[in-house]
Amino acid sequence: MAEFFEFKNVSKRFGSIQAVDGVSLEIKRGEFFALLGPSGCGKTTMLRVAAGFETPDSGRVFLDGRDITDLSPNRRRVNTIFQSYALFPHLTVRDNIGFGLQIAKKPKAEIGREVEAMLSLIRLEDQADKKPDLLSGGQRQRVAVARALINKPDVLLLDEPLAALDLKLRQRMLIELDLIHDQVGITFLYVTHDQGEAMSLSDRIAVMNAGRIEQIGPPAEIYEAPRTSFVAAFIGDTNFLEGVVADHPEPEYSRLRIDGLPDVMVYNDKQIADGNKVFLSVRPEKIQISRDRPESKTKRNAVPAVVEDVIYLGPTTKYWVRAGNHRLQILRQHARFFLDEKPIRWKDDVWVFWHGDDGFMLERFRRDDEKLVAAPPQKVGDE
Amino acid sequence: MKRSRFPYIVTGAVLVFFYLPILILVVDSFNASRFGGAWRGFSFKWYVRLFHEPAIWTAARNTLFIALFVTFVSLILGTTSALALHRFAKTRLQRFHYTLIYTPLVVPEILMGISLLMAFVAAGVRLGMLTIVLAHVTFCISYVALVVLGRLQDFDFTIIEAARDLGASSWMATRRVLIPMLAPGLAAAGLIAFTLSVDDFVITFFVAGPGATTLPIRVYSMIKHGATPLINALSTLLLALTFTTVFVSQRLSKSVALEGGQ
Amino acid sequence: MKRLRRRGQEILLTLPSFFWLSLFFLIPTALVFILAFRPADPFGGIGRGWTTATIKGLADPQYLAIAWRTLWVSFLATAICMLLAVPTGYAVARVSERRRNLLLMLVIVPFWTSFLIRVFAWKSILHPEGFIKKILVFLGLVDPGASLLYNLGSVILVTVYTFLPFAILPIYAAAEKFDYRLIEAARDLGARPFEAFRKVFLPGIRQGLVTAVLVVFIPALGSYVIPDIVGGPGSELLGNKIAQRVFVDRNLPLAGGLSIVLILAVLAPLLAVLALQREKSRIEPPPADTES
Repeated sequence: MAEFFEFKNVSKRFGSIQAVDGVSLEIKRGEFFALLGPSGCGKTTMLRVAAGFETPDSGRVFLDGRDITDLSPNRRRVNTIFQSYALFPHLTVRDNIGFGLQIAKKPKAEIGREVEAMLSLIRLEDQADKKPDLLSGGQRQRVAVARALINKPDVLLLDEPLAALDLKLRQRMLIELDLIHDQVGITFLYVTHDQGEAMSLSDRIAVMNAGRIEQIGPPAEIYEAPRTSFVAAFIGDTNFLEGVVADHPEPEYSRLRIDGLPDVMVYNDKQIADGNKVFLSVRPEKIQISRDRPESKTKRNAVPAVVEDVIYLGPTTKYWVRAGNHRLQILRQHARFFLDEKPIRWKDDVWVFWHGDDGFMLERFRRDDEKLVAAPPQKVGDE
Repeated sequence: MKRSRFPYIVTGAVLVFFYLPILILVVDSFNASRFGGAWRGFSFKWYVRLFHEPAIWTAARNTLFIALFVTFVSLILGTTSALALHRFAKTRLQRFHYTLIYTPLVVPEILMGISLLMAFVAAGVRLGMLTIVLAHVTFCISYVALVVLGRLQDFDFTIIEAARDLGASSWMATRRVLIPMLAPGLAAAGLIAFTLSVDDFVITFFVAGPGATTLPIRVYSMIKHGATPLINALSTLLLALTFTTVFVSQRLSKSVALEGGQ
Repeated sequence: MKRLRRRGQEILLTLPSFFWLSLFFLIPTALVFILAFRPADPFGGIGRGWTTATIKGLADPQYLAIAWRTLWVSFLATAICMLLAVPTGYAVARVSERRRNLLLMLVIVPFWTSFLIRVFAWKSILHPEGFIKKILVFLGLVDPGASLLYNLGSVILVTVYTFLPFAILPIYAAAEKFDYRLIEAARDLGARPFEAFRKVFLPGIRQGLVTAVLVVFIPALGSYVIPDIVGGPGSELLGNKIAQRVFVDRNLPLAGGLSIVLILAVLAPLLAVLALQREKSRIEPPPADTES
């Protein structure tokens, strides 16, 4: 499939802040693509560049092979769902939806027909003559979707469209957006800071941080194989362990020497050479915890530890353990393996273990990203 | 926690203080007596006499004519000013511009009156209706600009972006979204300019020439020359007009708010 | 290119009001300062040459007494306005929404009512034959021969009457935004009601108080119509003197000189407020929260 919507080396600076720093992206036709990142990472600027509200300082934007970088917003076949919806308060729902067609000077009969079709798509036929202020949050959101879709844009931009809704409504609208995307087959560029939304809706995700893209890939790849400490820490939760590559007992697997722990095996598809200092990331739910020492198997890493804290979370329990001079978090579901299993308590001696394929060596590590993961509990006054 | 009743008592007293003099004035306008003190029976005679004072009606016509013209000009100047202040907020020019808009509001009227008089005398402009209009526009611009600026600051400009996004050109977005949404603000600003112009006495008194008499100037000379019962009648008419205007404009803004789902 | 167009737009939008206010506000104000150094001509116009006689003439004890009286009357009127406006602004902000709208309208109506009519209403009820006089005489509070009009008291009373709505509105606006849980917190920490009011509420509506003081004090300084209508020869203010020089003996340079005194009197409180606010904005912003 050809690249449909393309950003080439786009940069944008506001005063002293480099909002977007040389970003390149290729989005396929019909794709549901998410830009995911914390607030201030530059994702909204990217969206505004796509819509034409900002002109990049350098770099170009192409839509279907055409350079649209300098095209004003009204001349692009790109429409936006604004975070605040930005419905026109002085117009009825019907006139809001029909606005784009009226501006395009379409015949009245056609506008009427199209608006009715949209109203039935979003199931708001009975609210058509109300002003937007009288609608509920979910209804407003649907009007915003209809108002954009009626113009049959090449790309639909969505700026945190669910952020203003409460949790239950958000879950419903999530399904609805997914259905609409399937029905209309338009390319969606979805900007969000909510990893749940990005994971459940998108075909591919680009994770952004500080104006740059950290990683692009399908949701599972982003989660299972993070390439940078930022991605590992921002999406889900993780443990970071610093070590040195000792040797390669098997092709694609390295033995890692970690200060204060037994050696661990780790999948090494990146061919990091022996002797390099690396960082390992292991997600808490990938680690098992047990009172008994697990049978030893190749690629199974087992480490003795002491439980320092037990936090009950409902569906799961989180254990903080100390292994050597490292603190690890482990997430465990409550389904028991053995019926007579004794619960694990504070100060218990345990074994924690994980498969070599579940750890990842990071290409890029920044100390700052450690702040993004859950910090171990501290006693008051204990710095 | 029990709240003190003192503020509510003061508020009641303040409202009595506000309305008692006005009430007495209205009652007196129907008093057959020449002096307010004693009630000599109900009468419309002062109103009848008022209708036979051509000077008052000429003054009223002048006032209306000036006010309409002033409203129109100051709405244009004040709105462009507010747009500039809002869009280019932080430039050095706009900081100076803002000071220039703001200062006339804190200058006592008499100073503005005397400085304009001196300017007109120095420039050799003949005092009359024209000088009144020029003076009124000068103090109305600031009020219009600040009222419109307030509306612009509350305005959610993503709505303009939404219109642009849906294919509207810059001018179309202004005409179909910005102006309709600013309309209530412009109406409020216009009403303020109109009222200020109709009501102004001090500045007008300084820059009015012979023959250019407005209603407040007429009322002032009647006060000075003791035509008390006639002023009572005229005041009652003006008060009725003011109350209706305030009431209607409140109703209008309330119904707009209701439609908006408040 | 784009920046140039933006600059062009800015100038296009700024020019009309900028030009108008320069021509009819800035230049005329500057002219007051210039013309005060010109001699008067016998026909009520402005003569040739330069003189400092007018400015020196302002040292006349008569003018000094009037300037002092103007300050004093304005101060008293402002103080009374504040004493009435603070409880009223508080009460309007604290009642239920329905009542608040009614009260607000009642406060705003005088605001829209003709200034001259409101002054005149007092002249007729303070009149020797008027309503108040009769009641006071009837109650034995006032001697039948005493005059309620044409003195400093009547000038202050009517000044308060005309400017009070202007003081109530900014105080109400600030009181409406005030978080009243702070008063509960102060009471919880042991403050008596009046202490909570003085130490928590008043500082909380500080901006409204400053605005209220300015909108009463400054116009009161330039007051001319009120002393002219309800005042007497013993209660003339700077404004009356300026108007007399213009309308009675047509000495524009002297009127200009008196205006300069008035301008200085107006600038003093304004600059004081500006200086205070600059002082306040120098206080550092709170540090950013490290946990997030």
